[in-house]
Amino acid sequence: MIEVMFFGQLTDATGVSSVMVEEVGNTDMLIQMMKQRYPALESSTYMIAINNAMVTENSIVTPGSKVAFMPPFSGG
Amino acid sequence: MEAKKIRNIFTAGPVEAAFIADSIAKHSTKTSIGGHSIFLGQVRADLMDGKQVEAIEYTSHVDMALEVMATIREDIFTRYALTCMHVHHSLGVVKAGEICLFVFTSSKHRKVAIDACSECVERIKAELPVWGKEIFEGEGYQWKINQ
Repeated sequence: MIEVMFFGQLTDATGVSSVMVEEVGNTDMLIQMMKQRYPALESSTYMIAINNAMVTENSIVTPGSKVAFMPPFSGG
Repeated sequence: MEAKKIRNIFTAGPVEAAFIADSIAKHSTKTSIGGHSIFLGQVRADLMDGKQVEAIEYTSHVDMALEVMATIREDIFTRYALTCMHVHHSLGVVKAGEICLFVFTSSKHRKVAIDACSECVERIKAELPVWGKEIFEGEGYQWKINQ
């Protein structure tokens, strides 16, 4: 299983802060899956981190990973 | 490479003035310090379309944020001759007028402390996975956007 987490305004688009999904090959496939499940993500801006490390290109998602969908940061 | 030490930086609710004063007092025994620099972030009661911000509710990808902060900390200590550096960021609700971020750097001389403090604040805003939800008086909210 893979834990997919949503933060900030993305939780408005998904209505959930995390969801477990079956194995998925890579981040592009996961993004497609999440957009189908939560269509409002289509118009959202986000970055992706796998196990707390940011990824900028399509990346392999190994079973047991935690994948975070994160909108632009607004701390401070 | 040696594992980075993960320190908690998060405080539930506002950073209290008494905590800041106490933190300053604790440095009186470190007599090699010649200059401190302190940044305090305060929640603004912005007015938007006739609605006033009453509070900001902060959330974070906490374990990632602490890892990122450890990296920022290590990098700043590598490049600035600091005696010490302390960072406290709020989570949860912080009302307008209350303190949500406290960055405190100390060094032998002022310039190093000031420059390190400034860089640390900029990097916290740009790199830490933290989000602010601006809650309006009455009802409604909008997500904060960092300038």
